[in-house]
Amino acid sequence: MKKKLLLGVFTAGAIAGGLLSTKAFAQVEGEISPEEEMRLVQEFNKMLAEGVNPGEIWYEVGKEAIKKYHLDKCDLGLGPGVFKGAAAQLPRYFADAGKVMDLETRVGWCLQKYAGMTQDQVLKFVRQCWGKSGNCMSEYDGIIMYLTMESNGHKINVNLKDPHVKKMFEMGKQVYYTRLGPWDFNCATCHAGKKEVRIRATRLWSADRPGEAGGAVSIFPKYLVRWGMPMSMHYRYAECIRQMRWPEFIPHSDLGVALSTYMYGLANGTEIKAPGIGR
Amino acid sequence: MKKGLILTGLFVLVAGVVEAQQKKAQQAQPKKEQAVKQEEVMQVLKSGLSSDPRFAWKVQQDEAQRICSQYPSREEMPASAVQKVIQLSQAEIKYPQWGIYMGDWKEGKKLVDSPRGGRYASYGFSDKPTDKGGNCYACHLIEKGVPGGTMGPNLYQYGKRWNITKENLNSPETVEKIKSVYNIVYNSWSAFPCSSMPRFGYHGNLSPEDIANIVAYLLHPESPVNK
Repeated sequence: MKKKLLLGVFTAGAIAGGLLSTKAFAQVEGEISPEEEMRLVQEFNKMLAEGVNPGEIWYEVGKEAIKKYHLDKCDLGLGPGVFKGAAAQLPRYFADAGKVMDLETRVGWCLQKYAGMTQDQVLKFVRQCWGKSGNCMSEYDGIIMYLTMESNGHKINVNLKDPHVKKMFEMGKQVYYTRLGPWDFNCATCHAGKKEVRIRATRLWSADRPGEAGGAVSIFPKYLVRWGMPMSMHYRYAECIRQMRWPEFIPHSDLGVALSTYMYGLANGTEIKAPGIGR
Repeated sequence: MKKGLILTGLFVLVAGVVEAQQKKAQQAQPKKEQAVKQEEVMQVLKSGLSSDPRFAWKVQQDEAQRICSQYPSREEMPASAVQKVIQLSQAEIKYPQWGIYMGDWKEGKKLVDSPRGGRYASYGFSDKPTDKGGNCYACHLIEKGVPGGTMGPNLYQYGKRWNITKENLNSPETVEKIKSVYNIVYNSWSAFPCSSMPRFGYHGNLSPEDIANIVAYLLHPESPVNK
């Protein structure tokens, strides 16, 4: 029953989310009347008010995808195929890979190992819905959603005592404060400082105000109404980096892992509660 | 005897206070322990960003960026570092071909309103190469009633507050004021070292004429900013 409800919400959400983007307006313009449009958006809002998050659809998608890509062999740190609570102890050091990895990087590594993908294929798989603003269902997003939701209720517990992890944490912190590019931005431009500030109408979280980093990362993947799909952490890095006028972010790079280690390290103790929902 | 004891007591007290203050000063400025080397950080950064040759220039830090990256905020910078950044930033500010003048505020408004310019990703959502703007409303409140950010100062009635009127519009004092504001927009670090505000003119995001127009939008008595 819930599945049907979620599917209904997703369809409404996808249409509404798609409608809200200018690209989709052109596609749908001749097909749905304004009254129908309004009805869908209202239905969507009603579903949201009832506490149903369309992002949860991706849980089912991920469950199937994990079987399809043999990721039941993937060891996220608690043993092969052990997913309950695994995301909460990431990023961590993996001896078999010889490096620290966050959830997404580890999934990418497992896809190469158990699904026979090359690195390029993994990147393509990761980015399949990037840049789209409606009606896009990504198996990768599903996998990340499923694996994160299996840690719902678990407190983030990055092991900062491990020397590899500690070094990555420091690396992430240094990157966070590195001014770069033609707009002189770094992560701290927006996400640091004691004073509460807004960018346009959006309140910014700060790494310097306790608990806020946790509040930000513990709800990822975050379902975004304007795109009708969830946003994973690496997609969020890519979008932040695009807004910072830096060259394009490469998913699953050490840069991503460093940022994850820093932010999830700051978030230690926060309960994971995915998916979040945002504009 | 009693006097001597009191004096010794006072001396010990003062010595203790001085030592405590010195210790506090030491703790306030801890030695910069680099757990990771600067070169390693740049290596990780560059390896995580596209190596598209068109954008290679974007990952070259200039000296001022290098200095600013070492401190989380201006408040924690030693005076020598602050002075160095100001010196580097004031060194080369380009003015329009005709010198300082009150630009076209209508053109300036377009640039202030535009959030576009410089954003590129191969997966989409990219600005056109010809797009440009300051995205000023991201950080500033500027015109009355228009939503804006609070990261930078409120610029509402900026020209009025600088005391620029129709009568003194062409006076030498006004020209100096235009120049001061121009310097800030061209290279904000010349006035506010390591500011969050991009150095629009220095990096070539906006031309000297663009900046003159933006300054006019902020300062001209006819501009909506000052109404």
